[in-house]
Amino acid sequence: MLKKCFGVILVMSLVVTIFTGCGTKDKAEKTDSGKTSVSDNADGQSNLEQSKEIDVFSIIGSDGQPLILPTEKKEVPERPEDPKALAEEEAGHWWDIEYAGWTTEKENLPKSPADGAIGKKVVLLKAGDHPYWTAYVNGFTQIAEAYDIDFKILNGNWNMDLQSQQVDQAINEKPDAVIFAPVDATACAPLMRKINQAGIPIIASNTIPAEAAMKYCTAWTGPDDWGQFRMIARHFADEMGKKGGYAIVRHMPGSSPYFARTFAPITELVEYAPDMELLAMDTANLEAEATMQLVSDWITKYGDDLKGLILAGDGFSMTGTEEALKNTGREDIVVVAAGNCKTGMDAVKNGVCSGITYQSAEGDGAIALYTAVRFFNGEELDPVAYLPRHIITADDVDNYMPAQW
Amino acid sequence: MPAKDNTALSGSRFSNVDNKSGISKLFDKAGVYVIALCLVILGIIVSPTKFLTPDNLLNILRAVGMLGITACGLSFVIYSSQMADMSVPSAMAFSGIITVQFLHLGFVPAIILGIIFGMLIGLVNGIVVGYFRANAILWTLAMQFGMEGIMRYVWSGNQLYPDLEPGTSGAAFVNIFRLEVFGIPFLIIVMIVLYIIADIIMKKTKFGNQLKLVGSAIDAAKCTGINVRKTVLYAFLISSFTASIAGIFITSMNKLGVYYLGEGYDFKSVTAIVIGGMALSGGRGNIWGVLGGVLVMGLLNNILTFIGIPTAVQNVFIGLVFIAVVALHTYKLRKVGKDYA
Repeated sequence: MLKKCFGVILVMSLVVTIFTGCGTKDKAEKTDSGKTSVSDNADGQSNLEQSKEIDVFSIIGSDGQPLILPTEKKEVPERPEDPKALAEEEAGHWWDIEYAGWTTEKENLPKSPADGAIGKKVVLLKAGDHPYWTAYVNGFTQIAEAYDIDFKILNGNWNMDLQSQQVDQAINEKPDAVIFAPVDATACAPLMRKINQAGIPIIASNTIPAEAAMKYCTAWTGPDDWGQFRMIARHFADEMGKKGGYAIVRHMPGSSPYFARTFAPITELVEYAPDMELLAMDTANLEAEATMQLVSDWITKYGDDLKGLILAGDGFSMTGTEEALKNTGREDIVVVAAGNCKTGMDAVKNGVCSGITYQSAEGDGAIALYTAVRFFNGEELDPVAYLPRHIITADDVDNYMPAQW
Repeated sequence: MPAKDNTALSGSRFSNVDNKSGISKLFDKAGVYVIALCLVILGIIVSPTKFLTPDNLLNILRAVGMLGITACGLSFVIYSSQMADMSVPSAMAFSGIITVQFLHLGFVPAIILGIIFGMLIGLVNGIVVGYFRANAILWTLAMQFGMEGIMRYVWSGNQLYPDLEPGTSGAAFVNIFRLEVFGIPFLIIVMIVLYIIADIIMKKTKFGNQLKLVGSAIDAAKCTGINVRKTVLYAFLISSFTASIAGIFITSMNKLGVYYLGEGYDFKSVTAIVIGGMALSGGRGNIWGVLGGVLVMGLLNNILTFIGIPTAVQNVFIGLVFIAVVALHTYKLRKVGKDYA
């Protein structure tokens, strides 16, 4: 009995040590952004006037870049008659996914109150926990503080059933808007419909929902995965002299990057560098050990024919790839990846990786809420607002340090 | 009762299972290595020039190194008839995070603290399962969820990066995974050493004999005066110890600590152990068989990638092998009147 008690006391004391000693919840460690908040504004102005005067473009993120950059528009080509009838190597095959949301006919959208954003109430339904999402919330919070927005964050924990319950909870909160980052792009349609029927405007964020859901969204904001990967495909081809065999380490099966970060480069390279040959593509579930084994096996199998690798993630996929290249002595292989976490940026800096896409997690969170602010201000919104596209290379990687996550 | 007698008692329980012809016995003893040999032959057929090269074989070993370490410790839990320890991933992640967190105290203290904190999970598991007789799978699953939540809360879901400046503890830490001794990865050496120690513990010590009796005939073990609760506690401690070591390697490899490192190692380890011939009902199998199971998983992945079979389908193959092995065990046991494998 004495030993049992001792064990329990030991466990409890060590747990307390963790909570008190190791916690890094440095809430006070906010970016010194020099932002203008509502309290700085003169009295006597209407909410709308004060709201429009706040300069969020001067807020700087933790990576030293502006938190909000002008969003990008995209030229939308005409939709092929039957995209699915085209081969997967043809860009038209992916039209419905690549240009999702641009031509959607909206349904029952709430009208803007056009009375300013200050003091409004917003609920963020985030998909789950991940270091990217921690940075996302940081960006979101900075915009909320700038406009004195009362917000509540509900964490879906990558579980659609939980997110479904949270939708009811969000509706009960009677917010002025909901920012919705869906766990599942298709299954979120009835949830969005429910929010829409409650008369609450929805700004969808990060993951592009299916067309059936998009019609209930006032706008969608997030990274332009297809555009970014078309851009990095060209950079990749240039680095490889537009010839040689390459392979793709894919994202988690079923996710939207699983398709975008595979078929954007494939379809782009067919046009831009037709002499390049796709040797293999597979997922390693974004795990370092699995990626190490996969890439090592590819190098053994294809030998010198394998000249380049495209990675759908620059975190654990990059670590695994780096190890495989070192173990096999194939550091000549050109590597590009989706970015931009610390591991990826370190890889660019030390020459392992030729380029990564710039995707600000803080900017992703910030632009979603800023779009809601624009809605409250009565501004006209594009149905889709992309984060800016950019490829980070060794030439400018220092400008994006320290990494957001 | 002396440990030797315990062994004899547990052995007699399965005397009718062991009463087989020479070929059948040989297959039972070296079964998993027969499968491994078949896979090697298949690999040579699939890729005659590239499969049987030192580089490729070393790649296979590197890829299963951490799995080998977790499976080694987990096999003690299964051997003790506790089915599984589903908290292996959280022990891995926790030991890694703690190590990175305390690197400022120095390399060795950080590693020791990482292992101690990781083993705390095993201590709690051992107390609850061993002393309070909770269902091992349910409890360790709950522990896994609970620990994941604690890590997410305490570190706000962030990744912890060690300081990688040359000469720092952080730089030494990330080199653990990359260290080679005479061209052999340190990870592989640690794995082999752990298996040798595990084999000695299982075969040559009083604890090993008691574990076998607890796993194969718990009532008999109690009658002979064995402290069953303590034996189960030690099994979970060993499991969390090896999980912590694997956690330090996986954190070193990734150069960061985060709550989801180690995900999937619970089921993969159980699969390797079962393929290696260790019975989920406890008390049967041996540690070298477990190593064979680990190698079979590495070989399978390697060969299937050579053939060009996608990872998702490879998982189906591994799952099918798992089901087949469990079905075979169950069939053999039912033939002699036992209920499950």
